[in-house]
Amino acid sequence: MIRLQGVRKRYPGADIDVLCGVDLTIGDYDFVSIVGRSGSGKTTLLNLIGGLDSAYDGAIEVDGEELRSFADIELSELRNRKFGHVFQAYHLLDHLTCRENVSVAALFARGEMRRDASWVRQRAEEVLETVGLDGAGRRRPSTLSGGERQRVALARALFHQPAVLLCDEPTGNLDVETGREIVGLLSDLHRNGDMTIVAATHDEMISAAGARVLRLHDGRFVDPEGETE
Amino acid sequence: MIGRAWLRAVTADLIRHWRHFAAASVGIILGVAALTFFLALGLEVRSLLLVQVFPADHLEVAPRSADIDLFALRIDLGRDALDAGILADLASIEGVDAVYPKMRLTVPALASGGESIFGSGLQTEIVADGIDPELVADDVGSTFREVDSDRNSTPCSRDEQCGDDSYCDGSLSFSGGTCRPFIPVLVSPYVVELYNGAFRRSYGLPKINPDSLMGLAFEMDFGASTFRPSARPPIRERMRLAGVSDKAIPLGVTLPLGEVRRLNIALDAPAAGERYHSAVIEVQSKRSAPGVVDAIEEMGLEVRDRGARRAAFATAVIMVVLALVGGVLIAVAAAHIMHVFYLVVMVRRREIGLLRAVGARRGDIRVLLVAESAVVGLVAGLVGLVVAIAAAAAANAFAASRVPDFPFKPESFFAFPPWLLASVLALAVVACVIGALPPALRAASGDPSEALAGR
Repeated sequence: MIRLQGVRKRYPGADIDVLCGVDLTIGDYDFVSIVGRSGSGKTTLLNLIGGLDSAYDGAIEVDGEELRSFADIELSELRNRKFGHVFQAYHLLDHLTCRENVSVAALFARGEMRRDASWVRQRAEEVLETVGLDGAGRRRPSTLSGGERQRVALARALFHQPAVLLCDEPTGNLDVETGREIVGLLSDLHRNGDMTIVAATHDEMISAAGARVLRLHDGRFVDPEGETE
Repeated sequence: MIGRAWLRAVTADLIRHWRHFAAASVGIILGVAALTFFLALGLEVRSLLLVQVFPADHLEVAPRSADIDLFALRIDLGRDALDAGILADLASIEGVDAVYPKMRLTVPALASGGESIFGSGLQTEIVADGIDPELVADDVGSTFREVDSDRNSTPCSRDEQCGDDSYCDGSLSFSGGTCRPFIPVLVSPYVVELYNGAFRRSYGLPKINPDSLMGLAFEMDFGASTFRPSARPPIRERMRLAGVSDKAIPLGVTLPLGEVRRLNIALDAPAAGERYHSAVIEVQSKRSAPGVVDAIEEMGLEVRDRGARRAAFATAVIMVVLALVGGVLIAVAAAHIMHVFYLVVMVRRREIGLLRAVGARRGDIRVLLVAESAVVGLVAGLVGLVVAIAAAAAANAFAASRVPDFPFKPESFFAFPPWLLASVLALAVVACVIGALPPALRAASGDPSEALAGR
């Protein structure tokens, strides 16, 4: 469970808060869509939830533990095991193959998550197959279309079977048809897997896919309860 | 972490940014090449000087002096003698064959005699030291040896009754004399040269043939002095010149070590019989001399080997100055590496943010960048070594074909011992790592979200 209480965030040098005391609870296996215009604070909220940003006021709890109390090592482990991130800009590494991109998290796995090279290769092929890119393991991202790149980014996020998938504008750079495919994938993942999905988007297709929609406006949820459904 | 995957990641990054790293490596290559070239040159020249030009199979070792001038006095704050422990340490140095201690006579002495050569007797204050006869056995044979400590006490009235090695002491006394052995002495060829040069001219004395001096007998009064009366009764001994050796004291006479020890104990103090003012080290081979010299200096002692030490010191100074040029080049290159890595980190900011987002710790980012810099240092260092060796080969070829032959001209002017190559290579790696450290620390700081946003 993820719980936010009075979360405020202001970037250095900015005059106003990006998030103005946000309260939010996301239960296990929820499919949540955070909807809002550009600059409403969606990406900031996802970054805070996913432990990518540690400068905030208020409290963010993941499974009852305050994120701020985590040291870098623990937070890194959380990002490696529990969270999977999908970015609007994909952030794929062009000098690596799709398979290497997908398995990049394995480089930083520790403890029981540390696996041998053959397991890593097999798992990468598996997740590529899950997102419909079987056989693309040896290709470079630069040879792929936008939709395919987003699928590789999604496969990368799924590599360690995260408990929480955080998607930032997963359809933002895609045409309608490709966007629909990605939404379909997310919907399937939610339906088939034990996974919480939080997607920041202004794409209404995601709400149509059965997600609980939260509307963010100028750093606040429009409905105080966060419930619009 | 998967080792091979990490290695692939580092290699892939290096290949991707090879232009940056190649530009950064130029300084390291030049620095390593210059440093290695000059150090190799210095090592070989130093070895040449110590081994061939100034043969150094015997080294005289003495306590290092630390003089301070105070008005008219010069105060020595250093150690003034070697003891048995130090001699044992010297003997344990690798490459040392034998250690021969030298003991200075710690009481004054007067020498008198020389009527057979000079026409009239001379008397002079004289200094003396004692050496192990083994040290000069090859120079003067067995005539210079320890005197039988039991002393020949056969009664006598004439010298002829005592044999070749002894004389009749007290033959004119009422009760008759006893036979006593001559004490063999050595003089330095420098003493003979000094006499035949300035001394004889000043006093109108004849020039002498050194060979004619062999067997010359004279008397010495140990503990006696014209400067001040002695506290204890002097001991008179009759000496006989046994040879000329460059291992003898330059101005004075050299006795067997046991005799000097006996006289020091009898006329000074028991402790004076256990203190040595220097020692002669016999090295196993001339090649091992430089290493032995280094070990001796590490013990806080100094080597009194004039020509070799001066030449080696001059070489060392030149070597250090030239090596400094290489060192400065490497330092500048390290600064260049730092700038390049700052640039690379800036270019890879989003990539680093992504790695952090998928679980990389700050330490992982640091290790990744430092590992890359180490590989750059290793490759650049290896290229630098190859350049240095090639330059040395070219210099040798030039010297062989264009430089006229001269004494001790070597086939190669350069020595590349493995430790030199390994040290310079390690220096290149360390310089690169130090250069890359600040950018690596900066790259690992901050939140992943900042890096992903390119902030």
